[in-house]
Amino acid sequence: MSLLLIIALVVFGRTMYTRIRLLMALEPADRFDQITRRLKSVAVFALGQKRLVGRKKERLSGVMHAFIFWGFCVLLIRSLNIYGEAFVRGFHLPLLGDHSLLGYLYVFLKDIVEGIVLLMVILALYRRAVIKPKRLHNSWEAYLVLGLIGVLMISDLLVDGARYNLISLYNNPGHLDFFNNPRFGSEFNWTPISVLAGKLISPLGAGANRVIMTMMFWLHIITQLTFLNILPLGKHFHVITALPNVFFKSLDYPHEKTKLLDLEDESVWEDESLGINHIHQLNWKQGLDLYTCTECGRCKEVCPTYTTDKPLNLFDFNMQLKEELLENTDNLIKRAALANTLPSDGDAENTEKIKAEMAGLNSQKQLVGDVIAEDTLWACTTCRACEEVCPVTIEHVPRIVGMRQGQTLMAGVYPDELNVALKGLERNGNPWGIGYDKRADWAEGLGVKMMADDADVDYLLWVGCAGSFDDRAKKVSTSLVKILQKAEVDFAILGVEEKCTGDFARRVGNEMMYQMMAQENIETLNSYQVKKIITACPHCLNTLKHEYPQMGGNYEVVHHTEFIYQLVKTGKITLNSSLGGALTYHDPCYLGRYNAVYDQPRSILQSISKNGLTELDRHGPESFCCGAGGGRMWMEETIGKRINEERAGEIVSKQVANVAVGCPFCLTMIEDGMKELGKEEDIKTQDIAELVAQNMA
Amino acid sequence: MKILTTVKKVVDVELNMHVKDGALVEDGMQYVTNAWDENAVETASQLKENNGAETTLVSIGGGDNTDIIRRCYAMGIENGIHVDDPALEKADSSIYAKVLQKVYEAGDYDLVITGKQAQDTDSGQTGIILAEYLGLPCVSNVIALEVIDDQHIKVSRSGDTGTEIVELTLPAVISVDVSINEPRLPQMRGIMMAKKKKITEMDLAALGTSADEVGADAPKSEIIEFMASQSRQAGQKFEGDAAEITAKVVDLLANEAKVI
Repeated sequence: MSLLLIIALVVFGRTMYTRIRLLMALEPADRFDQITRRLKSVAVFALGQKRLVGRKKERLSGVMHAFIFWGFCVLLIRSLNIYGEAFVRGFHLPLLGDHSLLGYLYVFLKDIVEGIVLLMVILALYRRAVIKPKRLHNSWEAYLVLGLIGVLMISDLLVDGARYNLISLYNNPGHLDFFNNPRFGSEFNWTPISVLAGKLISPLGAGANRVIMTMMFWLHIITQLTFLNILPLGKHFHVITALPNVFFKSLDYPHEKTKLLDLEDESVWEDESLGINHIHQLNWKQGLDLYTCTECGRCKEVCPTYTTDKPLNLFDFNMQLKEELLENTDNLIKRAALANTLPSDGDAENTEKIKAEMAGLNSQKQLVGDVIAEDTLWACTTCRACEEVCPVTIEHVPRIVGMRQGQTLMAGVYPDELNVALKGLERNGNPWGIGYDKRADWAEGLGVKMMADDADVDYLLWVGCAGSFDDRAKKVSTSLVKILQKAEVDFAILGVEEKCTGDFARRVGNEMMYQMMAQENIETLNSYQVKKIITACPHCLNTLKHEYPQMGGNYEVVHHTEFIYQLVKTGKITLNSSLGGALTYHDPCYLGRYNAVYDQPRSILQSISKNGLTELDRHGPESFCCGAGGGRMWMEETIGKRINEERAGEIVSKQVANVAVGCPFCLTMIEDGMKELGKEEDIKTQDIAELVAQNMA
Repeated sequence: MKILTTVKKVVDVELNMHVKDGALVEDGMQYVTNAWDENAVETASQLKENNGAETTLVSIGGGDNTDIIRRCYAMGIENGIHVDDPALEKADSSIYAKVLQKVYEAGDYDLVITGKQAQDTDSGQTGIILAEYLGLPCVSNVIALEVIDDQHIKVSRSGDTGTEIVELTLPAVISVDVSINEPRLPQMRGIMMAKKKKITEMDLAALGTSADEVGADAPKSEIIEFMASQSRQAGQKFEGDAAEITAKVVDLLANEAKVI
C-alpha cells in the first residue's frame, strides 16, 4: 500500500510541479486581491455549479455534472477514510466515527451519493454514445474517465456489499469493523445501495465474498491513483484546476481588461514584446485557463462566428494554444529563469546577451500563422457569449485581443479593410473619415449646448461617431435630445472636440491609435471637468467607463436606456403604451454582457408597448451578437453566413412588428439584416430612444 | 535601383473649407499626406521589397513636415529630405519642379515617382515639368508598374482610349494614379522606430541653389483669391394627396423656377 501510494503521489507530484512551474514562468497577472469575493465566486460557480445547473438549455447535462462533482466532494472524505484504514484498522476521520450521528449520516450520504454518481455516469455514457450532443468531441479520454469513475463507484459499493454479506450472513469471520452504536443501529441500516450490491454477490458464498472484498478494495485504490495521475494529462485536469481558475477569475470587469501598454518605451518595440505573438507572452492566468478548458464546447455553441461557419472554434483554439504551451514547457521555464537574471543596474552588454539567449528559447512558432490561423483570430466579435457560458470562467476574449495587438503592433498584419477606418480615426477622429468639423452638424437647429460655450452643465451627452456621422444613428441622437429636452435635463455636447473613444481600435489590437484617441478625449473631458456622461453607444459607454480610468479619465457614465429609465421612474417623462404590434429587444453585447444592463431597456419597452415584450430565444446574458463588435463593423464578412442575417432571421421567426436595439452598430446590422431578408417593411428596427421619443406624453 | 518619391503636405479635403477675405481660414484646418503621394510611396516601398530598390522621399515646404515624413518611413521609405525656405511660400508647380530637379541632381536616382496631382491644388503638373527640366522620359497617370531589368520598366497608364502599356528606359519620371495600389497604413512598429530616423532638412542654399535660380522671386502663376464653392440648396419635399401635390409642383415649376 505504502509503495503504491508513494509511487502514485510522486508521479502526480512531479507532473503538478512541472505544470505549476510552467505557469510561474508566464507573465504576471494580479489576481490575489479581494479574497472574500473570490471565495464567493468559488461558492457560486464551482461549488454551486451555477453555469452547469443554471442554464435551462443545458439542464440535463448540468445536473448530471453537478451530481458527479458533488459526489466527488463527498467521496473525497471516503477516500481519506479508506487510505487511513489501510494503515490503521477501523480508521475514520474525526467526528465521522460510529459514536456520533454525523458518522452515520456520512455513511448514509456516501452510500446514496455513490448510487447517484453511478447513475449519472451511465446517463453520461448514454448521452455521449447515443444522443451525441453536437458540441461535444467524443474522445476516448472522455469514455476512459467515465469508465474509471464507474469502476470507482462499483468497486466501492462492492467492498461494502461484500463486507455486509460477510458480517451479516457469514458471522463476520475476519472480525471486520463496522458501525454498531446501539443508539443508531447497524451501519448497514444506513447503506441501502451497498446492501443491494451485497445481495447481488451474496449467492457466491463466504470465500468468494472475501475475495471480492479484497479485490475490489485494491481495484478501487489502484483506479483512484491511476485516475489521479491521468487528470493532469488531459481535459480532466479541470478537476484540479477549475476551483483555482474560478477563484482567480476577473472580478470588477467581466474579463481581464486590455493592458495599458507603455508605447513610449523604445525597448518594447525593439524587442518586439508588445501583445501576444509567442506562447511565453501569455500570463499565468491565461495559462491556467488553458489547463482548465474542459472541452465541453459550450463556447462554440453560442459563438456568433462558429455558428455562422467561420473558422473560429474556441474549443480548438484553446487546445492548440495548450498544446503549444505544453510543448514549450522546458524552454519557457528556462527562459523565465534567465529573465530573473537580467541585471537591474543597466549593464547594457550583459542585458543584450541575456536577451539574446532568452530569444533563443522562444518558441519557433508564431502564435498567429503557425498555431492559430489569421482568419480565426480576426473572426471574433469580442461579444463574450463564450465567456458568459463557460462553466469554469475561462476568459477567451483578452487572449484574442492580445494576439491582435501582436499582429497589429509588431507584425503589422491585419485585415486590409481596417486601413480605411483606422486612417479615418487618425485624421478625423472617426472611423468613417468624415471631416471632424462636421461632427456637430446633426445638432444644428436643435438648441443643443456646446461644452465650449457653456461647460457648467449637469451632464455631458457623449454622442459618439455613429450618432454624429451615420445618417441612421443621427436620428437616434435627435430623439435622445428630444427626450432630454422634454425632461429638462441640463446637458451639453462636445461637438467638434469629441473623438472616437478608440473602442474599435483597441479591439483590433491597435493600442497606439486607441491611446491617441483616449488621451485627447480625456484631456478635453478633464479640461471641462466633466463628471457625468450619458451616451447612446454601448461601445463608448464601455470604453469611457472601464478603460479611460486606466489613463486618468474618471467619469460616471450611463447608457441612455439607464438614464431614460430613471427619467421615467422619477416622473420627468411619461410614457404612453401606444406602440402597436409585437415588440422584441435585441441585447447589445457591450450593454448586456459587458455592463449587465438588461432590465432597464426591458422596463422602458414594456411601458411603451401595447403588447408587452416578446423575448428572443437568445436574449439577456445569452443574447446573440449582431456581428459588429470587436472592430468587425469595419471588416468584410466573407466567410460563412452573415451574422446579422442569422440574428435578423431569429427576430423574423418571432413574428414581431418591431425590434428595439440600444446600440448604433446593432441598429445598422439588424436593419441591414432585415433588408437582406426583405423584411424591412414588416419589422421596424429602432433604437429605444426613438421609440421613447415617439411614445412619450 | 534608386528611387526618389515626392510627398506633399496638403490640407485635409474631408474638412469644410472656409474662406474669408479671399483667403482660406487656417483655424481648424488640418494637414495630411497628399493621397496620390501615398500611392507613390506605396509603389516605392513595393519596389524596395520586391526589387531591392533604395528609397528616398523629398517633401517641399509646409513648415514642420516631420509627422508626414515619419509616416512615410513607417510605410517603408528609407531616407527623407525636407526642403523648406521662406522663399518658397508662394511656390507653383514650376518652382517645385525646379527644386526637385536640384534634389534629383544631388542624388543618383533611376526613377522619380510622384503622385499624379496634389489634392489641394489639383494641378497635376509638377512631375511632368520636372521630367521636362531633367530631359527625362515621363509617363503620367500610371496604374501599374513592372520592372523589366535594371534599366527598363514597363508601366500601364490610363489614357483617353484605354490602358496604354509603355516601356521606359531609366532614368525616368512617372506619376501614379490612386488605382495603382492600396497604400498600407504605416506599421505601428515602424512609426515608433522611425522616431529615431534622421530627416535631412535643407533650405535652398543648402541645396546649392537660390530663390532666383528656382524662380521663386517671380512665380509664373499665383493664387490671387480663394472663393468658397456654392453649396447646393436643400430640395423641397412634398407629401400628401397626389393630385394636390402635382398641381403645386407644376405651379412652382412654372412660376417660381420658370422652367415650364
